[in-house]
Amino acid sequence: MATVMSARPKSAVDAFVSAVRDVVGERWIDMAAQKVERYGENLMPSGDVPVSGVIYPADTEQVRQIVLLANEHHVQLHPVSTGQNIGLGSRAPVQPGQFVLELGRRMNRIIEINEELAYAVVEPGVSYQALYDELEVRGHPLMLDTTSGPPQGGPLGNTLDKGAGYTPYFDHFYMSCGMEVVLGNGNVLRTGDGALEGSKSWHISKYGLGPYLDGLFLQSNYGIVTRMGVWLMPKPPITRAFFFSFPDDDDIGEIMEVSRHLKLNSLVPTLLKVTNDIYALGTEARFPVDRADLRKSIPDDVRAEMQVEHKIGSWVVSGAVYGADDDAVENHIRLIRSFFERSGKATYIPQEIADRNPMLRIHSDSFVGKPTRDEFPLYEWRPGGGATWILPVTPIHGEIAKEHQQLSRRILGRFGFDYICEHVVGSRMSRALHVLVWNREDPEENARAKACFEAFIDEYAAAGYPVSRPPTEFQPYAMNRLGHSFLDTCNDIKDALDPRGVLSPGLYGIGLHRDAN
Amino acid sequence: MKTMFTETDLLNPVIRGASAEIEKCRHYGFCTATCPTYVLLGDELDAPRGRVDLIGRMLENGGAPDPETVRHLDRCLSCLSCTTTCPTSIDYAKLIDIGREYIEENYRRPLLDRLLRTLIAKLLTNPGLFRLAMSTAVLGRPFAGLLGKRLGGMVAMTRSMKPARSAFEGHRVIPAEPTAHRVALLEGCVQKVIGTDITDATVRLLVRHGCEVHKPAAVRCCGSLPLHMGRGHEARHFARQAVAAWYDSIVREGVEAIIVNASGCGTTVKDYGHILIDDPEFAERARIVSEHAMDISEWMVKVGLVPKISPSLKVAYHDPCSLQHGQRVISQPRELLKKAGFEVANIPERHLCCGSAGTYNMLQPEIASQLGERKAANVERTRADIVATGNIGCMTQIGQYAGTPMVHLVELLDWATGGPKPPALASLL
Repeated sequence: MATVMSARPKSAVDAFVSAVRDVVGERWIDMAAQKVERYGENLMPSGDVPVSGVIYPADTEQVRQIVLLANEHHVQLHPVSTGQNIGLGSRAPVQPGQFVLELGRRMNRIIEINEELAYAVVEPGVSYQALYDELEVRGHPLMLDTTSGPPQGGPLGNTLDKGAGYTPYFDHFYMSCGMEVVLGNGNVLRTGDGALEGSKSWHISKYGLGPYLDGLFLQSNYGIVTRMGVWLMPKPPITRAFFFSFPDDDDIGEIMEVSRHLKLNSLVPTLLKVTNDIYALGTEARFPVDRADLRKSIPDDVRAEMQVEHKIGSWVVSGAVYGADDDAVENHIRLIRSFFERSGKATYIPQEIADRNPMLRIHSDSFVGKPTRDEFPLYEWRPGGGATWILPVTPIHGEIAKEHQQLSRRILGRFGFDYICEHVVGSRMSRALHVLVWNREDPEENARAKACFEAFIDEYAAAGYPVSRPPTEFQPYAMNRLGHSFLDTCNDIKDALDPRGVLSPGLYGIGLHRDAN
Repeated sequence: MKTMFTETDLLNPVIRGASAEIEKCRHYGFCTATCPTYVLLGDELDAPRGRVDLIGRMLENGGAPDPETVRHLDRCLSCLSCTTTCPTSIDYAKLIDIGREYIEENYRRPLLDRLLRTLIAKLLTNPGLFRLAMSTAVLGRPFAGLLGKRLGGMVAMTRSMKPARSAFEGHRVIPAEPTAHRVALLEGCVQKVIGTDITDATVRLLVRHGCEVHKPAAVRCCGSLPLHMGRGHEARHFARQAVAAWYDSIVREGVEAIIVNASGCGTTVKDYGHILIDDPEFAERARIVSEHAMDISEWMVKVGLVPKISPSLKVAYHDPCSLQHGQRVISQPRELLKKAGFEVANIPERHLCCGSAGTYNMLQPEIASQLGERKAANVERTRADIVATGNIGCMTQIGQYAGTPMVHLVELLDWATGGPKPPALASLL
């Protein structure tokens, strides 16, 4: 893959690079192909999106100056934080020729941890592992909420992409408080109470005075968030996970009905993970090429054999309870068992048994906010290295969940892929994490994967449900499914805050209207 | 990642093995965030996936590698942090060893570089020569600044090293009363000279727990140091000597386990089955010896530690890379320390190497010192009374930068089960 220069004339780009060198220093801008090209790598079917260079700013002021220079020279910037975003294809931009603003390398400071008021303030490059380590040396007074992604992902980037975890603090945006943002026009915005000079409540009081602006910076390209407050949960004395195995595919109906009752009535503090057989065993097993055709979905009889081999059913349900002592958590789990075991189909698996199984231990780690890298071998379920999550929304309703399972299985079956799904279940909706795994070295299979993803967007939209976090390659496609002035309004805001369109044009489909015009 | 090897290339089992590993790489990039040199230098070619590409191109092109490729591969610590992170389970250890051996055989290094590498390979694998060198180093210390970064650094490093003799030197069998187990003990080459407290503590600990200790005379170096310097022939020569001796101990003397307390050596001994796989005379014996190799912490968990005193001290446990990434021995040392009554603290960024990495701190002193300082700063963050680890290389490296007293895990276990207090803790209580 070659790097490409911006669509701007070479003289303009050279002038931009020279000016940026003056801001960040000679060693903090990379133009060498072997370094730069990695930032354009993309696992998605359409392949890599070459970038022009990589800039490593040290602080908000340098970011501001770079954005002003980008405006002056009409050069486009694509900010990235920490991690690889492999779960959603890559961290590559939507369109080629942009300069990557790599915030992970130098802007990786934990600015503050306030143990009394239970929050941290982080820069974009702070990883989950770094924050976990810092809490650990402090004796874990507070607990992190992590994703099941790898430890090098970070809270700021995940929040901005509407990511979520599994503990009571699962809603990362809700648990964020106060941002500093360099807007596309070069202004520096402090949101919420942070707008008051010398504010002491920036990271504890969410809504401030006037419009609540923080949400504008989620899944958008209006500004570069350079610091953010993250609320942290006091670590409970005891955490105990519970697991249930259900034998049949259609048991998802019963699981959702019970889950809704438990969640709406606050009987389970964590989210519930409802994991299908292949998702659960795929971290250890591989597609059985000796028993099934790789060009098709795994047959039900082979899947049944693998369930027996791995001692699980069609679905595994997990969650956790917190308490002051062992008796409290055991009593709590007894109550939860009484609901899940009522129909007689569930088999209870205590945590001490489940934790011997690496694929279930991932769940236990999630509920105590421990970063884990163990889920990613799932990407090797099929050979070839193509992989992404697909995340449609499912209501916590038994019959609809069964319909959604059928819809997903129909789509995946049509394109010859496997149903690999984990519902992350809240009170009213679940994010149904589907994992699409394919051979990206095979052009025919690549084309099938692309068509499959688009079918998910189309057919779920037709049923009335959006796919919530598409990879960059599919973001414009997904956004164009939305009506009711939504994308037009997003573009209007883009024009107001980033009038020259210097920030990540095309991210979440926003800012492409200028090309169209 | 697709390789471009010809069918003829692939007839060579080494190339075939390398190709299979290279093709597993999907360029996900998880390895970059946990690779110490990438974290410090930010260069993709100083990260595992960059090095995988470089090794592939070097082997495909054949002939002498270019100096840039050699520079980036030399900078690899072989800490194997990437193997813990990689979801596709690339055998990076195998790949980097192939790359290093290829460089050693096909690249002519500058004269001073060659001399230094030969000096290190010969000295550190020969306790007699190493002991002599330690004495000579005393004379060289005042001139360390004049000897260049690497040689001067090596001489300066000897400041904290005190050559000594083990209380069990020359003892081939140390009995236990009563004898419940029979084990062989590998005394690391360097440890025989400057880490005799570790050896003595290990022997006392084992004997106290009913283990008769065998030290076959024919076992010299395990081969780890030459292996990681690309000197595969020397490494395999040492490995064959050790395999022959230990196989004999297993078959004739009923030795149940080969105990290693220098984890860098342990990783190599556990890999003998692979290192000698193409040697029909030794392959099977090497496999059996590998299966018997255990880190001292693994063995003590199996035997069951019997503490006698309960020191109320906070210990920051440093995971040697060879244990946490190479052997995946992570919980056992912590379990033993807790059982012995210590409070155990994890060190932030525990996945990152301390910069010791066998001979790395001698050959790449600048990167090693940055890693050493970073590790020491992380150790201080724990506010522990003691730092404990399982490898003499890490002890030497971290000891240069951290103010906290540094001991080997076995010294604490020996103390807690009735042995003497570790000398490094003399001023602590």
